[in-house]
Amino acid sequence: MKRIDRRQFLGLSGAAAATLASTPGLTFAQMVGGSAPFDDYRALVCVFLFGGNDSFNLLVPRSDAQYAVYAASRQNLAVPQGDLLPVNPLTPDGTDYGLHPAMASLQNLFEAGNAAFVTNVGPLIEPTTRDQYFEKSVLLPPQLFSHNDQQDQWQSLRGRQSSNTGWAGRMADLIRASVAGQQMATNASLAGSNLFQSADETFPYVMGPGGPLQYDGFWSPPHRAAFEAIVDADYASIYERGFAEIQRRAIDAADAVTAAIESAPTLATAFPSSQLGQQLQTIARLIAVRDQLQMQRQVFFVATGGFDTHDNQVQDQPGLFADISESMAAFFAATDELGVAESVTSFTQSDFGRTLTSNGDGTDHAWGGVQIVAGGAVRGRELYGVYPRLEIGGPDDVDGGRMIPTTSADQYAATLAKWFGISDSDLEIVAPNLGNFTVRDLGFLG
Amino acid sequence: MNARLALVAATVLLGAACGGGGANSSGSGGTAPPTPVSRAEAFQLLNQATFGATEADAERVMNMGVEAWIDDQLKRSPSLELPRLLALPRPGLLFELQPDRVDAWFDNALHGDDQLRQRVAFALSEIFVVSQNGALVDFPYSLADYYDVLTRNAFGNFRDLLEAVTLHPAMGVYLSMLGNEKPNPAGNIRPDENYARELMQLFTIGLVKLNPDGTPQLDGNGQPIPTFDQSVVEGFAHVFTGWTYANVPDFHTQWPPDASQSSPMQLWNGYHDTGAKTLLDGYTVPAGQTGAQDLEDALDDIFNHPNVGPFIATRLIQRLVTSNPSAAYVGRVASVFDDNGAGVRGDLGAVVRAILMDPEARPATRLDTDGKVKEPLLRLTQLWRVYAAKSDGGRYPIDYIWVFFGQGPLQSPSVFNFFTPTFAPPGEIRERGLVAPELQIATEYLNTFGSNFMFWQIFYWNWQADRSDENITEDTVLIDYSEEAGLAGDVDALVSRVADKLLAGEMSDTLRNEITNVVGQIPSDQGVLRAAETIYLVVTSPEYAYQR
Repeated sequence: MKRIDRRQFLGLSGAAAATLASTPGLTFAQMVGGSAPFDDYRALVCVFLFGGNDSFNLLVPRSDAQYAVYAASRQNLAVPQGDLLPVNPLTPDGTDYGLHPAMASLQNLFEAGNAAFVTNVGPLIEPTTRDQYFEKSVLLPPQLFSHNDQQDQWQSLRGRQSSNTGWAGRMADLIRASVAGQQMATNASLAGSNLFQSADETFPYVMGPGGPLQYDGFWSPPHRAAFEAIVDADYASIYERGFAEIQRRAIDAADAVTAAIESAPTLATAFPSSQLGQQLQTIARLIAVRDQLQMQRQVFFVATGGFDTHDNQVQDQPGLFADISESMAAFFAATDELGVAESVTSFTQSDFGRTLTSNGDGTDHAWGGVQIVAGGAVRGRELYGVYPRLEIGGPDDVDGGRMIPTTSADQYAATLAKWFGISDSDLEIVAPNLGNFTVRDLGFLG
Repeated sequence: MNARLALVAATVLLGAACGGGGANSSGSGGTAPPTPVSRAEAFQLLNQATFGATEADAERVMNMGVEAWIDDQLKRSPSLELPRLLALPRPGLLFELQPDRVDAWFDNALHGDDQLRQRVAFALSEIFVVSQNGALVDFPYSLADYYDVLTRNAFGNFRDLLEAVTLHPAMGVYLSMLGNEKPNPAGNIRPDENYARELMQLFTIGLVKLNPDGTPQLDGNGQPIPTFDQSVVEGFAHVFTGWTYANVPDFHTQWPPDASQSSPMQLWNGYHDTGAKTLLDGYTVPAGQTGAQDLEDALDDIFNHPNVGPFIATRLIQRLVTSNPSAAYVGRVASVFDDNGAGVRGDLGAVVRAILMDPEARPATRLDTDGKVKEPLLRLTQLWRVYAAKSDGGRYPIDYIWVFFGQGPLQSPSVFNFFTPTFAPPGEIRERGLVAPELQIATEYLNTFGSNFMFWQIFYWNWQADRSDENITEDTVLIDYSEEAGLAGDVDALVSRVADKLLAGEMSDTLRNEITNVVGQIPSDQGVLRAAETIYLVVTSPEYAYQR
């Protein structure tokens, strides 16, 4: 496309770009009451891998015996044993592991102690064995193996309830009184609306992959006044009201956030040009101006797609994995550059793992998988949870190489939430099924 | 019989008296004069049934009456995309044809005289989703032909549509049924489940059993009842084995000849699984059949599932008329799906007619839940239709449109469409148990970006009358509001004219007063600027974003 240079356009319109950032609207702080603030800054960054990541090709057993089981199951999809990039956990579980060869940066991050893996984690309502699954003697999350339903499970942890809030949304609601001074919502998405950040009491702010946008034309005060009066009018239909509310939030957030991000320092850390890399770079810039925006707690949502590898998996996986590896490593480096590595934790979620069996040149929808956590506060260079036996018809398989999770998404979320500052008594608001599991804290955050 | 039931009965009788209103039926006697239609009602119908109401079309509706207008539209022949692509020279890299495909789409959406057919095809493209964004980027002929299949079948039978979609190579590539083959136990290879699952979950029956009015059936514990389990997905996955591009020498061909992009997939029986397959509710396809026989049986099994009527009725009502139809409305439309009055199941023309003729499509008293959020792309096409948008080169090759509006022709980010039918934004809509699917892409970001596109469209591009700016090319779409610019000396007349054209004259006092005030501050000799400000503030307003 022909790109319209925004400043050039504004110049033609006879306005100075600087005047765009005037007249802040109602701030987030004014909408909620004040309370005791946090005395530090912490941010969580959810990297959502849309489509269902085949993560048993991301972290692979390398020891001969376990690799043989893996290779027998995966057949034409197996990563060659000699290509795996070794990782050396501080607490070995008796098996050697390696990363997909496209993930050298993640290997370095892990070995340096700034990343860890949570193995075989997925949505569960209660601990579930293979026998219990087939006997139907435990409650299971509804619609296993369905993309949108399992995305919703990861993002909401709602189990069989019909709740419409996400676990980050509930965290934002819980701490809202403590972050009353923030100039921007606790929850920010760079990848569209999502259930994860949806809440009863607070609204997430959705910006673009490069940050917030302002309404063009607001350089003219009478024009802006008219636009805002129209947005603020009373409307008869729910659709007009719903639309106007979003416009109002867009106006409120854009002034302060745009002004802040334009003052962000240039980062020395280079990011990949991928969607994911660009979103994470924007987050690094927002974190750099956290004090200007009076931010103390933030949850960011970024996403990338292409993981629904029903076809061409062997060809597509290197690019997908390299993007995760390079982008998350660059993001860690940027937080280190900013001196906030200890305060920022990034973590992955994905619809589901994928079948160990092949459909010819790809895989289908499954259940448990491996997730990545990274950051200075992560007790890195460790595997958390139990790596499953990758055997078709084995003790962890329900059908075709669909691994039953042995760690629940609730436990994973609760561990992140506790570090974020949610009190132990509130953890079951964030992770409603946590009480069904013995371990409340997986231990990957210090 | 209570009043509501009486209304239902009357509607059903009315439908029957009209012979079901299929594509070839225009009512029985047809001598009675049409029921008078107000200008507002005509606009309302046209915003449900076209790519944006215009005064010329409103005149036609008011002259013909609603029913005759719909019946006339049901007879219109389809405006197509593929012939236009085939008329162009083939570029070396096929993805370079995607802007031409989008050009064809816009031209048909803006100017096709088969507006209702085009609008229904667009709705179908948001149910039976395939997308340029992904594996099909190098398949412009396939995408154009797929859209043509939806357009041709928009008023046909759902069973035919189902088969045409299933065997289309665009769907074959997008949901990986193409190249799917029988199991190879030695290699731990089993059939691909992608199309099998989404065909049921997203295109036809959904995940839970429905009552005839679209409400979920509940078991003794108050829980919804799944329509299928994993074993049924596997059954269908085995059915859909053995199909690849037409006219290729090798079943595993990756790069077919161009012509195969738009030809139905062909069966290679050697790659088809011949075992028995268990499908919906225990129905079994016997062993030993050909792939073609299996496919017919399996599609019949789905087509005859009782969920299809309420499932498709709900989705089409949501795309055309309202986000929150009453169960009775869904039930009335679903009953037409089940039987068009002539004993035919799946008559989509009759379904579309029933949706648009229903009392809830033009309620006498408007509830605050009636109508819907206008789809963002339709906010643009309405503006363009009303203001005769065209580029100097006469084309609309704007394949990046989805970046601004979150929506574009066959440009969904995934098979789950631009938004989900059940999306409920936080706040009032969610608290009341309602939905507003289009608001899923009305984020702070996209609302601003789409509004800014409108800003450039209305102010900036149209100011470059001499085309001197380097950003104005022969493909830049310009709109014509010279009539408004000529009226601009009289602010009230200007605002009223825009209100008539874009809002059927139904402009709120706030919008009218705010525009009048701000436009009054622009010098009266700046007619173009006054007109631009007026149109911009209307097309970014909540009331323009509301489809009544």
